[in-house]
Amino acid sequence: MILTTDIRDAATIVIAIFGGVFFLVGTIGILRLPDFYSRTHAATKCDTIGAGSLLLALAVFNGLEASTWKILALVALVLLNGPTIGHALARAAHRTGLDPWHAEEG
Amino acid sequence: MKKALVAALLIIISIPMLIAVAAMPPHGDADSPVHTHVSARYIEHGEEEAGAENLVTGVLLNYRGLDTAGEVIVIFTALMAAFAVLITHPGRGEESGPTTAALDPEPGTEPESDSKAPPPISPVVSFMVRLLTPFTTLFAIYVILNGHVTPGGGFQGGAILGGMFIALTIVLGEDKVRTLLPRRAAPWMQGAAVFAFVAIGVIGAATTGYFLGYPTDASLHLVRELMMVVIEIGIGLGGAAIFATIFLQMEAE
Repeated sequence: MILTTDIRDAATIVIAIFGGVFFLVGTIGILRLPDFYSRTHAATKCDTIGAGSLLLALAVFNGLEASTWKILALVALVLLNGPTIGHALARAAHRTGLDPWHAEEG
Repeated sequence: MKKALVAALLIIISIPMLIAVAAMPPHGDADSPVHTHVSARYIEHGEEEAGAENLVTGVLLNYRGLDTAGEVIVIFTALMAAFAVLITHPGRGEESGPTTAALDPEPGTEPESDSKAPPPISPVVSFMVRLLTPFTTLFAIYVILNGHVTPGGGFQGGAILGGMFIALTIVLGEDKVRTLLPRRAAPWMQGAAVFAFVAIGVIGAATTGYFLGYPTDASLHLVRELMMVVIEIGIGLGGAAIFATIFLQMEAE
C-alpha cells in the first residue's frame, strides 16, 4: 500500500517537473526569441506540453477518482486547443503579411 | 519629463490605496464587517431559505434577486446602446430588434450584397471547432442548468454559448449559423433574461405577494428550483443572444 503511494508520488513529481521545465523553456523563449512566429512557437509549448504535463501529474496524484476523469478531459482539451491556437495565430500573422525574422547577413 | 510625471502621479494615487488596503480587516478576521452582517445568515439558512445549494446562486437569484434583475436589464440596455453606435446605415437594422426594424424600409434586401470574399478558413481550426462544438454546447447547458448546485449559472453558461456561437460563425459562415438565431426570434432571445425575470417575478408576486418572491414552504422546493432554473435559462439564452448579435453586427460593418 505504502509502496504504491510512493510510486505514485514519484511519478507525480517526475511528470510535474517535466511540465515545469517546459514552462521554463517556453517562458525563456517568449522573452528571448526574435519575432512573433518563434515566440508563438515557444508559447504554444508552454500551453500544450507544460500545462498538459502538470494536469497529468495532478491526475496521477489524484488516483482513480471521479475528478480524475475531469482532469484527463482537461488534458485532452489542452492538447487539442494549444496547437490549434498556435496554428491560427501564426496563420493569421502570415496572411496579414508579417515577415518572419531572418539572421542579418554579413 | 513625461515619465517623471507619470511616476509621480502613480505614486500619489497609490498612497491612499495602500493606506486603504492597510486599514482593511485582516484576512479571516471574525469581527470584520463581512462576517458580522448578513453573510452568517446566508451561510446558515441560505440553503433552506433560498433553495439553492450553491450559496452564490441563492444570493443572486433570491436574496438579491432584484439586484440581479436590474443587472440583466443593464446588460440589455448595453446591447441597445451598442446598437445605437454600431448601426450606421439603416439597411442593416433588421436584425437588431423592433426599435430599429421599424425604421428599416425593406428588410432582407441587402444582406447578401456585400460578399467580399472572406479568406479561406484554416482546415485545422475548422475541424477543431466542429469537433468541440457538441462538447461545448453540452458544457454550456450543464453550467446553466446546474447553477443552483455548483459554481456556474446563466451568466457563465451564456458566455460559453455566445463564445461558441462566435467561433461557429467564423468557421461556418454567417448564413449557416443564422439558423440558430433567426432574425424573427432574435429580439425575443436578446430579451430572454429580462422576460424570464419579469415572468418569474410576476408569478412570485401573484403567489407570495412579493415581486420575485419564492414559495418558502419546504414541500414546494421543487417549484422554487424550477423558478430559478427558468431564470438561469433565460439569463443564459439572453446573454448568448446578446453576445452573438453584437458580434454579427460588428462583423457586418
